[in-house]
Amino acid sequence: MNIITTARVKSPWILHFDTGSCNGCDIEILACLTPLYDVERFGMINVGNPKHADVLLVTGPANRRNARVLRNLYEQMPAPKVVIVIGTCGCSGGVFHNCYNMLGGIDKVIPVDVYVPGCAAKPEAIIDGVVLALQRLAERSESKPALAEALA
Amino acid sequence: MLMVDWFMATTILLPALAGFVLFFVGQPAIRRLTVLALSVILIIASLLVLQNGPFTYSPRPLAGVAWNQLLVAGDAVLVALFFYFGWRARSGLIVGLVALQAALVAYLEFALAGVAADNAPLFYVDHLSIVMALVIGIVGSAIAVYALHYMDHHEQHLRVEPSRQPKFFFSVLLFLGAMNGLVFANSLPWLFFFWEVTTLCSFLLIGHDGTEEAQRNALRALWMNLVGGVAFAAGMILLETTAHTLAVAEIAAERQAGGALLGLAFLVVAGCTKAAQLPFQSWLLGAMVAPTPVSALLHSSTMVKAGVYLIIRLAPGFEGTLLSPLVATAGAYTFVTAAALAVSQSNAKRVLAYSTISNLGLIIACAGLNSALAISAAVLLIVFHAVSKGLLFLGVGAIEQYIGSRDIEAMEGLLRRVPLLTAVTMIGILTMLLPPFGVLVAKWAALEAAARVPLAMLLLVAGSALTVVFWTKWMGRMMSAAPSSQRLHVESLSPLFSIPLVGLAALAILLTAALGWVMSGLIGPAVSDWYPTVGLASGDNGLVSSVGAFPVWALLTVLAVLVVVALVASPVREKSVRAVYACGENLAESGDTDFRSIGDGTQAMSLGSYYYVGVLGESKINRWANPIAIALLVSLMGVAIL
Amino acid sequence: MITPSIALEILVTVFALVVAPLAGGLLFGIDRKLTARLQNRIGPPIVQPFYDFIKLWNKDQIFANRSQLIYVYVHLGAAMASLVLLVWQQDMLVILFTLALGGISLVLGGFSVRSPYSQIGSQRELLQMLAYEPMLVLAAVGFYLVTGSFLVAAVFARGTPLLFELPVIALSFVLVLGIKLRKSPFDIAAAGHAHQELVRGLLTEYSGRYLALIEMAHWYELLLVLGIISLFWANPLVVGFGLSLLLYFLVILIDNAVARLTWTSMLKITWSWGAGLSVLNLAAIYVLSYLGWIGG
Ligand code: SF4
Repeated sequence: MNIITTARVKSPWILHFDTGSCNGCDIEILACLTPLYDVERFGMINVGNPKHADVLLVTGPANRRNARVLRNLYEQMPAPKVVIVIGTCGCSGGVFHNCYNMLGGIDKVIPVDVYVPGCAAKPEAIIDGVVLALQRLAERSESKPALAEALA
Repeated sequence: MLMVDWFMATTILLPALAGFVLFFVGQPAIRRLTVLALSVILIIASLLVLQNGPFTYSPRPLAGVAWNQLLVAGDAVLVALFFYFGWRARSGLIVGLVALQAALVAYLEFALAGVAADNAPLFYVDHLSIVMALVIGIVGSAIAVYALHYMDHHEQHLRVEPSRQPKFFFSVLLFLGAMNGLVFANSLPWLFFFWEVTTLCSFLLIGHDGTEEAQRNALRALWMNLVGGVAFAAGMILLETTAHTLAVAEIAAERQAGGALLGLAFLVVAGCTKAAQLPFQSWLLGAMVAPTPVSALLHSSTMVKAGVYLIIRLAPGFEGTLLSPLVATAGAYTFVTAAALAVSQSNAKRVLAYSTISNLGLIIACAGLNSALAISAAVLLIVFHAVSKGLLFLGVGAIEQYIGSRDIEAMEGLLRRVPLLTAVTMIGILTMLLPPFGVLVAKWAALEAAARVPLAMLLLVAGSALTVVFWTKWMGRMMSAAPSSQRLHVESLSPLFSIPLVGLAALAILLTAALGWVMSGLIGPAVSDWYPTVGLASGDNGLVSSVGAFPVWALLTVLAVLVVVALVASPVREKSVRAVYACGENLAESGDTDFRSIGDGTQAMSLGSYYYVGVLGESKINRWANPIAIALLVSLMGVAIL
Repeated sequence: MITPSIALEILVTVFALVVAPLAGGLLFGIDRKLTARLQNRIGPPIVQPFYDFIKLWNKDQIFANRSQLIYVYVHLGAAMASLVLLVWQQDMLVILFTLALGGISLVLGGFSVRSPYSQIGSQRELLQMLAYEPMLVLAAVGFYLVTGSFLVAAVFARGTPLLFELPVIALSFVLVLGIKLRKSPFDIAAAGHAHQELVRGLLTEYSGRYLALIEMAHWYELLLVLGIISLFWANPLVVGFGLSLLLYFLVILIDNAVARLTWTSMLKITWSWGAGLSVLNLAAIYVLSYLGWIGG
């Protein structure tokens, strides 16, 4: 890995967006920040601002009301970026499947890189998911065409 | 030697003469030609006076009539006019003040005539006078030219018929002439005569629009300045009876004591009224009702500068007395209080007015600190403040004609609407605020000079911090702009606007670049005429004082390089532009700051500045500020008696 | 004509400009590690700020408008210039003015975008400047009263440490550092790491390369303030460095122990405890030098 890729992998700043989950997965994400799991040791920071974020963590399913917000936040993140969906409902709609206002999983609206299933997803699984996402980021960063595409 | 008298006389008499001509000749073309020609002549004449250097001069009797008799006649005319204005407005206060002043002056001119052998020259032109004349000539002319276009637009807008411009330009030009007379005069009674002429002109100009508010504010300016006139006359009587001279140069030449010191204290109070120091600030704030060129004139090159000029001029006379630290404290007090008051204002002209009052306070504080370094700071401030403040008023006046408001909140995003006007106004503010521009160099020198005068130093420190707040808030409003990759479209301006505006903006920057020359050629001599050293000298890469150094050119270079780098290095690409973060609810991806709200309704995003009215509002501060200011002025007198 | 002394000067300047951000970044890394340990976490590696910097530098460039970007360069340049002025042992007041120039520039950058977060952040940053500027200028006045000059060179020329005469003013730098570093309880204009306030206050609309440059300016500023603190014990300077690090860790400790204040409390604390006590310190100097107990 060259230095830029290393830096990218070592400094994932996270934007957490809840599209309407039951809050179960959100609590697990917050647990990751606690001393027990301490994701900051991987350089992760919860920034709460798409313009500063590299990783979009989404909990909850895609529905008609929040799709445009999701898209807006995604577009306001500067490339290169990755999207991780946490929880079954974000992966496929989960317990909200077939509700009148549902579009389904998050990938119906924006491209998703990593799916972390579970209802709710465990902190260990979430961290695993982020690590997987960082691998994707590294691959993307190393391969010139993919990066050019990401930055385009 | 013969010639320079003529140059000096030109700067005094020609504007007055031109004023009378314009009063009777109403054709716009003639007016334009006269004002333009006069501006060029004034600038050239003041430059010629500069080139010639200091001299003294007493004119020969005019057709057998001694000049002092002419002075009595002039004073009588002024008294009659003031009396008429007071009587017309049914103002007992003004009539009383005029009567008091007339009595004092009559006592001085008749009862005390011959008490002192007055063979001092009538005019005494030293480097300080020359600096003032240059400021009046250059900045004053720029304002007069600007007024040509401004007043046409102004009268169109107010539907004034028939034009009242003859009267307006009469007052403006007379004003410039009187100011030149004031700075060249050596004899205090003459200085007093010109002083009263500026009071008259300011009264006429403030009331020019004839509205009820204008009349009221003009009368307030009149009575406050008449209070100053009374103090001035009383001071003259004290000086005549105790120091036995009314020649400025002689009074300043030695340290005064006793009654003469009290006389000086009176003159300082007179200076404070003219310079709109607390508690006399309200006349200058009220003066904003006048057309903007009037404000520009009052605030930058004339009127208020007469007040501080007088105090600086007399400062050597009270150097080393207890009056000095008190004047410093009073000035510093106005500096900080006016700066605090400016924070709560959203009216751009009021912000400018408070900033003027604040800076004049700083100049007076410097005069009170009364060291070579402090006086250097004071003169530096006079020059740089005049240019930047003149520019700011002209900028705000032009902006007002474009957007129909002088409210800072209405100036949001002005950069995109009128880029050129915004740029010159920004230059005005930046040169008032940032290092290494002249005003800040002066502040630096003032702080270094004040470090051994505890109370004044504290006030200066607090005032400087507050100054940053109100200027930056204002600039922030003008810069605030929605996302865009579009280039700015420069508006087209009448050359009568753009030449004074761009000229003053360029001057504000160039004077800093030429600070070494300004110091050694203008300000240094003005200081070393009266003090043992120059206070500030130009060193290798900036200015050097005995206790510090300001690398002006190094910083100016760094700043220039940074701006160039930034302009070159910041790409403007359409696809890089993103809307601001609005929790994902922006309506459009770029260019639009409206957002979607409840029920999918559209909500316009409106932003405003903070004004801290609850803490720094006028009603909160004035409650204690004015009494303290009065107490300070009274203690000024008290300490002189001691 | 490059004489050896000018060559040395240039060398020292370049060295300072290169080393300062490295040291500043490392100190911020130590801050994060220490904060994590105080919270019983492991925390990121101490070179984390450099990872962040490199990552940000290589992100896609997005922005709202061009004028926003110009201010970043002036901000960084002013921070560098003020550090260079300190290294050249120039006038204290000029150093502070230059620092303020950078501060004003960043505030204007925040104002130049029509975003409620960055504009409120800018307003608050102005209040922060209002809070620390007087303390800094009073410190400069203190230097002058003791050494008889505003030049930093005069501090080095003096044998005994300034700390003996100016203990309270030295201590007031805890407040200055806290505000300058945007640490609790003064992180009201924009907060670092996971302490969100107003999204990210006046930095909200800066991203990628420009955020990286602002971060770098922050490193320079940290070193500048620590450098000024070191002047309180200039001979030998090592002790001064130790003193400045001590205050730095004190600030980190406070950051972890207290919650955020409102701007009114911030101004009250800084003007009363900070500037007020500094004034008492100065008053003592005035009196002592009047009595002839200390020179200057
Ligand atoms: S996946 Fe289950 S726990 Fe997680 S947000 Fe959806 S419903 Fe709640």
